[in-house]
Amino acid sequence: MDLKSLKQEISILKSESSTLIDSSNEQDSLDKTYKSFLGKSGEVNLLLKSLGSLPQEKRKEAGMLLNQLKSDIDKSYSDKTSLLSQAENELRLGNQKIDITLPSVPSSDGSVHPVTQTINEISEFFESIGFGIESGPETETDYYNFEALNVPEDHPAKDMHDTFYLKDSGLLRTHTSPVQIRTMENKNPPHRIICPGKVFRKDSDLTHTPMFHQIEGLVVEEGASFAQLKGLLNDFLEDFFGREVELRFRPSYFPFTEPSAEADIKWDKNWLEVLGCGMVHPNVLEMVGVDTNKYSGFAFGLGVERMAMLKYDIPDLRLFFENDYRFLKQF
Amino acid sequence: MQFSRNWLKDFIDLNISTEDICSQLTMAGVEVDGYDSFNSKLTGKDSIIKLDITPNRGDCFSVYGVARELSVINNLKLKHPSFKPIKSSFEEDIKIKVCKEAPIYIGRSIKKINLKAKTLPLVAERLTLSDQKLIDPVVDITNYILLELGQPLHAFDRDKLEGNINVRKAKRVESLVLLDDQEINLSQDCLVISDERKPIAFAGIMGGKNTSVSPKTNSIFLESAYFKPSVIRGRARRFGFQTDASIRFERGVDYEIQTLAVERASEILHETVGGDFGTIQESKLKKELPKARKVSLDLDRANMILGTNITSLKAKKYLKGLGMDPKGSPRKLDLTPPSWRYDIEIEADVIEELARLEGYDSLPTRALEPKLKIKSESKEKVISSSLVSQGFSEVINYSFISEDDEIVFGESKKMVEVENPISQNMRFMRSSLFPGLINTFIHNLHNGLESQKLFEIGSVFSHKKSKKPSERIRVSGLIYGDVASNHWLDKPRKVNFYDAKGVIEKIVSNFDAAINFKPKSSDFFHPGISSTIYNDSKEIGQLGALSPNILRKIGLKEDVFLFSLDTGALKTKSLQKFTQFSKFPSIQRDLSFVVDKDLTSHELSILIRGKGGKDLNSLDLFDVYEGKGIEESKKSIAISLTWQSSKGTLLDSDIDKVVEKIVNSVKKELDGDLRN
Repeated sequence: MDLKSLKQEISILKSESSTLIDSSNEQDSLDKTYKSFLGKSGEVNLLLKSLGSLPQEKRKEAGMLLNQLKSDIDKSYSDKTSLLSQAENELRLGNQKIDITLPSVPSSDGSVHPVTQTINEISEFFESIGFGIESGPETETDYYNFEALNVPEDHPAKDMHDTFYLKDSGLLRTHTSPVQIRTMENKNPPHRIICPGKVFRKDSDLTHTPMFHQIEGLVVEEGASFAQLKGLLNDFLEDFFGREVELRFRPSYFPFTEPSAEADIKWDKNWLEVLGCGMVHPNVLEMVGVDTNKYSGFAFGLGVERMAMLKYDIPDLRLFFENDYRFLKQF
Repeated sequence: MQFSRNWLKDFIDLNISTEDICSQLTMAGVEVDGYDSFNSKLTGKDSIIKLDITPNRGDCFSVYGVARELSVINNLKLKHPSFKPIKSSFEEDIKIKVCKEAPIYIGRSIKKINLKAKTLPLVAERLTLSDQKLIDPVVDITNYILLELGQPLHAFDRDKLEGNINVRKAKRVESLVLLDDQEINLSQDCLVISDERKPIAFAGIMGGKNTSVSPKTNSIFLESAYFKPSVIRGRARRFGFQTDASIRFERGVDYEIQTLAVERASEILHETVGGDFGTIQESKLKKELPKARKVSLDLDRANMILGTNITSLKAKKYLKGLGMDPKGSPRKLDLTPPSWRYDIEIEADVIEELARLEGYDSLPTRALEPKLKIKSESKEKVISSSLVSQGFSEVINYSFISEDDEIVFGESKKMVEVENPISQNMRFMRSSLFPGLINTFIHNLHNGLESQKLFEIGSVFSHKKSKKPSERIRVSGLIYGDVASNHWLDKPRKVNFYDAKGVIEKIVSNFDAAINFKPKSSDFFHPGISSTIYNDSKEIGQLGALSPNILRKIGLKEDVFLFSLDTGALKTKSLQKFTQFSKFPSIQRDLSFVVDKDLTSHELSILIRGKGGKDLNSLDLFDVYEGKGIEESKKSIAISLTWQSSKGTLLDSDIDKVVEKIVNSVKKELDGDLRN
């Protein structure tokens, strides 16, 4: 081949490639066209291979011409590519449209029972000021449920708890106070604990279920005072209800506390009893070997369902144990 | 107890509203349940005050006691009950023998009474306002004194008494028909009043039928006694009842008012039924009376415990008002509780009195200083979060279940039974959470919830060797219906065993545990679609489809999947430290084996892991196929294997050798082959 026919060939390839590239309407056919010129066995490569048949002095010029061709094709290819992608982009923007009002893919999260949720909320407050969470068995002995709590056999105070007894031995705890005793037996003071859990009383009507949940708290420290008990419960109730609450304390009776108190909150103009509390009875502390000259303590107890009913406006106690999904899914 | 507000006027001049009286009492620890207004023709404007008295305040179980409390609160004088003595016209010949449990017994006979007389209008009105039924003038008057002074009285038909009175413990075999016709078999720790032939009253609790006052009664013998609380406590309750007398005696009755009560009753009886009054017969064991126990009060400690600054002067004033006779030094007071207060035994009791009179509401309030504490999340909370994120809703069921449920689902051979259940279908303590879940599921299914994921975390109970039941904390769950909700983007699919299995694995991934599944489980599961879960070799749970037999009973066609895990076996994960990941490329090979239908994928995986070498990084089973193209007794299992080394780039040729080893082992050991 001579330079002249090479030049001719180049000019043909130039116009041919330009036409083909221009007429490509899709990236695929564009790529194919490109390859047919600049691929491994494309036209331009074939010409390059034929350079060897040219006389030495012509090769340089021929090489330059071929490189020019190559870059021309490259340029028109890349121009066309960007043109095509821009066109495609516009097409996507113009044609794609969804109904954004269709229902979303729902979150698949389940729910925590409002009783557990309430226990968690209450626990968080007490944990934040240094209370540990303790638990214990639901089947108990008379000792832990009554005797160690200063409730002697046959005492009328036992009437306050309608106890379920088990056939072989023991009973179902009527409060979570036994956990306090077990904790004080196992660890030395100071103590700051709360004990959430199920308790059982033989009672079933509109406002009582034979099983419910309680949280009891215990503080045994040097200098623990009734003033602190009042302060703590006030802070707790305000944290729980998320607002200021009007609170009043009045004397009451529990065998395991002395002085004993009941705490009422103002609710729709009426006083509602929400908590029982008091200074731990010295007999209780002495029975578990706490030095009452050094330490004093206070304790409190509340019904979880009752607190949840107040906070979430739940009208009926029995809803908690019916587990109707229309109830559960609200929380 | 409830009573007429105007009755208080007999003992105290208190010119405040009923509302204020109620509020004062409540804030002093004598809780008022409420009050109703009443217009009396005899006393004018009146109210009925209803009290809810705590067991420690037996002293407030009378109108006089309440007036006494109000006099202390208002710093007013209390008018002591007065009476006009009724002269006796004969010498009492019935002798009384008391015992140490009954150190005071006072009797008086009244002969030739007129039982046809009418109860005095004021007595009748006050009794009615106290919700007492009117019976006959004698019984009405004893009830009146009980309400007025808190001293229970009893009237016997004197003509039915045979000889002298003896207050004694019941004999080994002794029974008594009570006023209300019930016959009780007394035990030896019960106290009875007897004459020389027979028991005539269950002391301090209820009189006997044999000597009761009847319309024919002509003479009565009036009893006013003091029984120690310890001999009354629990006795009536043992027979399933309580009386106005037993409630008072077991809490403690003032041991200085027995004579007063007889005199007061005599006065009203004389006015009402007339008759001839005998001399008052008293029998006392002075040394058996409650000792006036001294209590000392360290005022500084009281102030520390209450957070107050009560002065010695103020404390003395309070305590004097309460009848405690304060003596001793200003900061250390010696006190003698009065005969009506049984609840003042130690210093703490006196501290409560100071607090009461100071007013709980006016006691100071101080914040409890926060302390730092390292928090740890409970296992139950970890499990709950995992399940909630997987779409499960928590339920809480009663721990009590029916015998039928316990028989079907129970795991313990010996069931934990409640002695006094609230109902027959709550007679047992659950040893499984499944019955509760199934009942909840059915309830919600009937209410239109067609896909359900429920869980419960709670204690299950069983009898092991010891008598005391053992408790374990368990999580159980139930899955039913479609996996995804009925959504326009998703095609619903029915839940299956593997959904439930995945839930278990996801829970366990939060803990340090290596669980494995072995086929078959309890009878209430489908025998072919159930599994027992092990942690190492310890059984920790179950998983499976509810047995079709049970499904049929419930009336269900679709499968219900249940799972349970005992949380005790799960160890909280230790702190996760960083491990270096490989920087070198991995090699992946997909292998499809044809094996026996009965071969478990677990067996195949174990073999492959064994032969795959240390660089075998992951093994993912991605297809199981039976049917066309595969022999009838066979199935194909396709597994994707990935190798990666932390030391260098693996060579294809090395992996080829490993794959060959795996294929050969599958051929030799499991009689399987590569699928073509």
